[in-house]
Amino acid sequence: MASTVLICDDAIFMRTMVGDILQQAGYEVVGEAETGAQAVEKYKQLRPDLVTMDIVMPDMGGIDAVREIVKFDPAARVLMCSAMGQQALVVEAIQAGAKDFVVKPFQPSRVLEAVQRVLG
Amino acid sequence: MDAARYAELFRTESQEQLAEINRALLSLEQDADAAHAVTTLFRAVHTLKGMAGSMGYTALAEFTHELESLFERVRSGDLIVTPELMDAFFGAVDALEQGVERAQEGGGGVPAMVPVLEQLHELAGGRATSEYRAFQHTMEHAIPLAAAHSVDDAEGILVRVRQSSDAMLPGVRAYMAIEKVRALGTVTAVSPTPDVLQQATTPQAFALRVVTTADAATLEAAIRSAGEVAEVHVATGPGRTRPTVEVPVAVEQSTPGTRAARHVRIETERLDALTDLVGELVIARGRLVQLTAGIGDARVDEVVQTTARLVSDLQREVMTARMVPVWQVFDRFPRMVRDAARQLGKEVEFIVEGKEIELDRSLLDEIGEPVVHLLRNAIDHGLESPETRVAVGKPRTGRLTLSALRDRASVLIRVSDDGKGIDREKVLRRAHAMGFVDPSVTVFDDDALFRCIARPGFSTADQVSDLSGRGVGVDAVQARVRELGGSVELRTMPGMGTSLTLRLPSTLAIVRALLARSGAEHYALPLTHVRETVEATADAVQSMQGRPVLVLRDEVMPLLLLRDVVRQPTGEGREIVVLERGERRVALLVDELTGQQEIVVKPIDAVRDGLAIFSGATILGDGAPALILDVGSLL
Repeated sequence: MASTVLICDDAIFMRTMVGDILQQAGYEVVGEAETGAQAVEKYKQLRPDLVTMDIVMPDMGGIDAVREIVKFDPAARVLMCSAMGQQALVVEAIQAGAKDFVVKPFQPSRVLEAVQRVLG
Repeated sequence: MDAARYAELFRTESQEQLAEINRALLSLEQDADAAHAVTTLFRAVHTLKGMAGSMGYTALAEFTHELESLFERVRSGDLIVTPELMDAFFGAVDALEQGVERAQEGGGGVPAMVPVLEQLHELAGGRATSEYRAFQHTMEHAIPLAAAHSVDDAEGILVRVRQSSDAMLPGVRAYMAIEKVRALGTVTAVSPTPDVLQQATTPQAFALRVVTTADAATLEAAIRSAGEVAEVHVATGPGRTRPTVEVPVAVEQSTPGTRAARHVRIETERLDALTDLVGELVIARGRLVQLTAGIGDARVDEVVQTTARLVSDLQREVMTARMVPVWQVFDRFPRMVRDAARQLGKEVEFIVEGKEIELDRSLLDEIGEPVVHLLRNAIDHGLESPETRVAVGKPRTGRLTLSALRDRASVLIRVSDDGKGIDREKVLRRAHAMGFVDPSVTVFDDDALFRCIARPGFSTADQVSDLSGRGVGVDAVQARVRELGGSVELRTMPGMGTSLTLRLPSTLAIVRALLARSGAEHYALPLTHVRETVEATADAVQSMQGRPVLVLRDEVMPLLLLRDVVRQPTGEGREIVVLERGERRVALLVDELTGQQEIVVKPIDAVRDGLAIFSGATILGDGAPALILDVGSLL
């Protein structure tokens, strides 16, 4: 059975792109979120195998969302989506409980490698 | 022993091997069938490879491995020695030398290695081995293993990690990798530090130590799970491991009949510190002798005498320990001469004499550069082209001799050639034109000639290379030698050749000196240059053409007044010191000669700033400072 994914990003473009990459690789995108708060809510509802999480989002950023999700489910597997130059934020996200990260602009192969590491 | 010490040992040993390789290459070049040379090359490169491998200098180990394979093919007759191949080998040794210098920074990989090996493989028939590809790979991703050494003092298993060359946000990846290890045990050291690693914006190589019960495979898997890891190396075996180097004892590696003594290596700084202390002790002894002179107690006198003798013995031992044979520096010259001769289209037979003469280590280090200068000048300006030589009836191949010889307390280093000699007329014309000598001067002896070409303005003048002789940088050579308390002598014969001799004190730090007083000040005159002392009598001191001279036996020489030299207003002028350098003599009238003493030479800035008459300063037995006169500048 295909692994389920929740995609969280405030930009439709990024959600579409990540979604395409994952779907083409056989993952099942079960939901999308535009804010951190939405991401937490949808996680509790959908219990996906994987969450891709943008770092900077309105109404609760990605890092706080990771904290909330991990508090709810310590086994949650969150993959951060970062822009270049956000080292400090990524480290903070990892400390908050994210498992791995990918850096924009996305290269499909790298995204999939990271997803496999997280799910592996 | 710490890693730094191993690294230093590695460097010293490697330099010896490199010198050996250069020597062997030179003899291989002269005789392509020299089986002995090939064997030496093979063995020296093999030794280097072993040491580099033990130190974890991957690139260096792989590079030497390649060379070893090539030398093996030469040995088996599979690879024929051609001039092109020799050039490539020489190039490879240069790259190797650079690699050794930088071994600690990046595993010894230097950019020059890549084209050199490519060229070698091309010449050798393009047989790229799998090891060669491994080497190329290493060069692309050289791991700075310095990191591994800096975690040496911590407990635990050594883990080395290299990130993928295309890792994104490598700082974060490094952080994650360390966190993964932390989950398995206690991380006791990380190098570079986690903070530095985390800030990194380019892919890193780092080392850490961890105390853990996890096995190597588990550790490696954990680190790889952090992502973007290209290479993980977990040291096997229990706990802490250290890099080791086999330190060959001199006996093992010596060729028959040479260097059979056992040696301990001492860092030069340690030896310098010891020398400084002995210097202080010598000064203190001087004071002690002076202070106790009037006591008149036989027991005190005896203790003072014993102490004085022991200090002398100690000083002699330390000075002897500092002495090294000149071959340690001379051995790299044949290679340099070969290259320069090829470059300038000259044919040169290079002869080195007196290799075993010993010189103070620090002096030897200092004279390397001046000697290179003189050798280059001789090849460039002294020796004629093969065609010219044949045309004037000389052997086609020029002869260049570098010799070291001992002369009393001095060591002479001489560079001589059988070239065309310096064109006196030309130098004289130039000197006239530049206003360096009075137009009335029409005869130039060798010393005047040398003073002229050693003038900074003279040598930097245009058309220097047009001068049929030296001039390039001779001023720099002279300045350096003077700083060392030595002097330079020139002899040249038209059509016969030129020789330049550097006269150096055999030890640098402590010299015997004659102390002379002028007014209230004391000055030291190094005994190397003192010929004799005489009393200033009316018979001896005369005047010639309005200038004071000393008439000594049948000889007349110029007489200088120390008080004029050091610009003292008055003086009694009771005693005379005859100073000499080479065949030149000058008499110096002083107020009083106050004794002989061993003095510790301290450099002074005035020497560098061009104050011509002093070569250094010292502190006398009574604690008073004294300037050391540069005899060369008085002559």
